[in-house]
Amino acid sequence: MKKFDRIRIGGLKVLEEGACVTSSSPLEDNRLGPSVCAPLARQRLNLTFLTHVAGDREVLCTASHVGEAAFTLLQSQADPDASLALQPGTSILAVYPHDKRPQVIGTFIKSLARARVVIHGLASSPSAISAVLSSSRIKPAVKQLFEHFTFSGFASPEEFFSAQAPPKEYLEKVVATYQEKVNKVYWIIPQPDLDLWGMSLATADILAGFAAALMEMGELGLAIPFLVALPGLGGQEFILSFSTARRQPGGGDHGSEVRRILTSRLPDLRPMRLTPVAGIFLHGPHFGDRYGIAHTLVAALAQAHISLLALSCTISSISLIIRQHELAAAQVILGNTFAAPVECASAATRG
Amino acid sequence: MSGKYILIVDDDPDLVETVSMMLESKGFEVGKAYDGIEGEEAIKKRRPDVLILDVMMPRKNGYQLCKELKSNKWTQEIPVILLTAVGEAVPTTSYSHADGMSVEAEDFIPKPVDAATLVEAVQRLL
Repeated sequence: MKKFDRIRIGGLKVLEEGACVTSSSPLEDNRLGPSVCAPLARQRLNLTFLTHVAGDREVLCTASHVGEAAFTLLQSQADPDASLALQPGTSILAVYPHDKRPQVIGTFIKSLARARVVIHGLASSPSAISAVLSSSRIKPAVKQLFEHFTFSGFASPEEFFSAQAPPKEYLEKVVATYQEKVNKVYWIIPQPDLDLWGMSLATADILAGFAAALMEMGELGLAIPFLVALPGLGGQEFILSFSTARRQPGGGDHGSEVRRILTSRLPDLRPMRLTPVAGIFLHGPHFGDRYGIAHTLVAALAQAHISLLALSCTISSISLIIRQHELAAAQVILGNTFAAPVECASAATRG
Repeated sequence: MSGKYILIVDDDPDLVETVSMMLESKGFEVGKAYDGIEGEEAIKKRRPDVLILDVMMPRKNGYQLCKELKSNKWTQEIPVILLTAVGEAVPTTSYSHADGMSVEAEDFIPKPVDAATLVEAVQRLL
């Protein structure tokens, strides 16, 4: 890519010293709460990253020193058909803001594909797109990002790596002061009228083709408010799930355009479209640094018999996709579960 | 509040997004920066009517940037709201509350930020 083609973007960050657990249990429904989030919350094990797609699969990250404990705990809770894998020595790499622009998300994925790194998980937050990578592959990945993006704060990978980050132990102590009786939420934003697309990629190599499809969607002005990707346990098959707006401003249906792009760029795939669905975006504070919040959310929705279709927790926020007819009930239960500003319920949605 | 420009500087991109949305919903124009040096550059390009500044950031922390702004005659009148938490939690570091008080910010708001409190603080400083 020529230098003048690079996308200008706000920033990037790396969260180091992590461990990643991939978990899959095809025979057990609704296991995210009781078998994954609840035991981790009881042991006060924090999740720096969590993705889930309905049916059978999660990827989660913890700090490296508790990775083994999290893995053993989840293994003890899992049914006999479940498969779990622990990947120590991982880091989370994120760029921001994506502003729901497929070009940014697509370019991020393309950069990682060009760096030939193994992606252990991908997740969007309201502002950022994050990937879980082996820590040893962070440098080539960042180098590729600088080939495709310009960052307002850093001119080169060297400049980025030499920047002094605040000592992590300070952040942990600060976040420890946040343990309110009722978890505070800055903002709960519902976004109705979305399509949820799901695909299974035979190998991660196809991610570059998906990145090209995203960029074509961006040229049409489509927005991507949500995206997760989870690898299979062998590291080959990839499950991708993302949402787009159902309707164009003029009232036309985006779905046929998205399907056309996906099938032209990825002819061997069979993208599945679930519609109508709704997104709910819970904005911070520091959800990725505080144990138990994902559990509180998942348990509240389960109690209201609301099924999660997909979920991502990264940076400071949690994003989830549910069926549209369950949106009103979900807003009520989340409003009762979290301390959120009054205006959240009526907040204007964007994109 | 049309025409009033608020700059938010924080290394947590989701928080920047959230605060931007809070303020834009009240009619403010919002600029964003993700660390102290980037914030400094943004101020040079356009002087904000109010600056919202996180304390603990890479490259240049909020206290350092606030101190520099308050010692410069061209920027000392910019009202600064510091978003703090570290002062209470880690009193022995360079992010201590005492250091915060010495940089002469107009307001300190503890994290986690209350939306209404933040908007009120911005409106009070305009």
